[in-house]
Amino acid sequence: MPESARTEYQEELNNLEASALGGLDLVSTALSRTLEAVEHQDIELAQIVVADDDRIDGRYLEVHQSLITLLATQSPVATDLRLISALLHVLKNIERMGDQCVNVCKVIPLTGNEPPADARMVGLIVAMGKQSRALIAQAKRAFAERNVEMARDLVRQDDIVDDLNRDGFRLALEIGDDADKREWAMTMLLAARAIERIGDNAVDIGEQVAFVVTGLFREFEDASHPNA
Amino acid sequence: MLGAAGSKRSEARAGQVRTTAGAPAIGTSSGAAGAPSGRGAKTIEVKGVSLYYGDFQAVEDVTMKIEPNKVTALIGSSGCGKTTFLRALNRMHELTPGAAVEGEISLDGEDVYGAGVDPVQVRRLVGMVFQSPNPFPTMSVYENVAAGLSLNAKRMKKAEMDAVVERSLRGANLWEEVKDRLDKAGSGLSGGQQQRLCIARAIAVEPEVLLMDEPCSALDPVATLAIEDLIRELKDRYTIAIVTHNMQQAARASDLTAFFNLEKSGRPGRLIEIGPTETIFTKPAQQATEDYVSGRFG
Repeated sequence: MPESARTEYQEELNNLEASALGGLDLVSTALSRTLEAVEHQDIELAQIVVADDDRIDGRYLEVHQSLITLLATQSPVATDLRLISALLHVLKNIERMGDQCVNVCKVIPLTGNEPPADARMVGLIVAMGKQSRALIAQAKRAFAERNVEMARDLVRQDDIVDDLNRDGFRLALEIGDDADKREWAMTMLLAARAIERIGDNAVDIGEQVAFVVTGLFREFEDASHPNA
Repeated sequence: MLGAAGSKRSEARAGQVRTTAGAPAIGTSSGAAGAPSGRGAKTIEVKGVSLYYGDFQAVEDVTMKIEPNKVTALIGSSGCGKTTFLRALNRMHELTPGAAVEGEISLDGEDVYGAGVDPVQVRRLVGMVFQSPNPFPTMSVYENVAAGLSLNAKRMKKAEMDAVVERSLRGANLWEEVKDRLDKAGSGLSGGQQQRLCIARAIAVEPEVLLMDEPCSALDPVATLAIEDLIRELKDRYTIAIVTHNMQQAARASDLTAFFNLEKSGRPGRLIEIGPTETIFTKPAQQATEDYVSGRFG
């Protein structure tokens, strides 16, 4: 066997990784559009995000199938096996993040064309979204560079999203007695919750980075035992 | 005692030989004819073993343990010395002219190369199954299994012999297929059956260790899986070491995997890493192991 064998297989695996991580760019675009739709109450743009989610789902199905084929035909082991296992997880995270954008975009029309919007609440959701978008970029980079430290830092970055989400609850309580305004605020809390989940998915991707590098899977933070 | 009895290395080694105190488990030349007694699987301990063919060093400084009731796979590219190493474990290496052994190999603490230890007795306790099935061509199925017994043990009664043959063939998962043609030639069986016949022959003498040198390389996938199933069953009773070029076979059939490698052609093979098979195939410690099991070189 030559010094460097299986070049085609290696190339295929590299391409699949690039393709899977490219899904994060698709999510990032979807999230940017979602934030714009929230900010400007743009129902049409929200519908585009919903329709465009098929592209993210398509990426998921395509890369997933190719990874299964590699597993079946190439018997990958060691680092390759860990990478493929991690990519299968990451694909699922990407697909879920796309769905969360859709969840936000689906509630936008519910509040009508001229909702009794509160600028602070909208600003807060946009801030959460931008921070989540930064997490997505950081998760992608950490994965591509196999950088466990950068991956671990996602937890700290995600705390910012979580804090903003809690602020949202406070704002909703302070929003007053007007029934329409309260209904709007509750709808916005659903949107905030969806964006908060996007941050969590980015942290999950970070955990997969650690798995690829170390061979051990550990949750960075255990939500069931936060003080453990 | 070594094949290269006159070589400097063997002479140098002879000075290191410890005499075995008390009643040795491995028969000595004088007392080798005893019938096999009930034994369990044993641990093979290898310390600083180097192996030579004349001036050529095939294996350098291997230290490892082959554990009882476990299957240990030896993997590595061609020429890395894994088969030579396997053959040293039951003193078959020394049958090659010019061959020499340095270091220590013990079976549950008994020096396999100790002074006065009979190599024939070692080979009875440490059985070997080879790459191509090699039943004795002129012998029947029955005689093939009984062959080892008649060579090794005292005279047996026919009924006793029948029982051992049946037990061995059952142990090799072959009894049901051959019980009605025990008197037919062993060479008339299929490749997979012949290999199981060889395994039956090896276990008939109640060894403690079974060494297998690429036992499935001449077999089709179905026969291969049958042998792998058998290997898993046999480990309940024996210590098993298996040399294989088939990485998936090592992954499927073994508990521990040892990776041998050589820097380049002409250099001796060395043990790079040994560990639980699961670890070797998911997160090996050495880059060379990673490259080999991933098929990046080899």
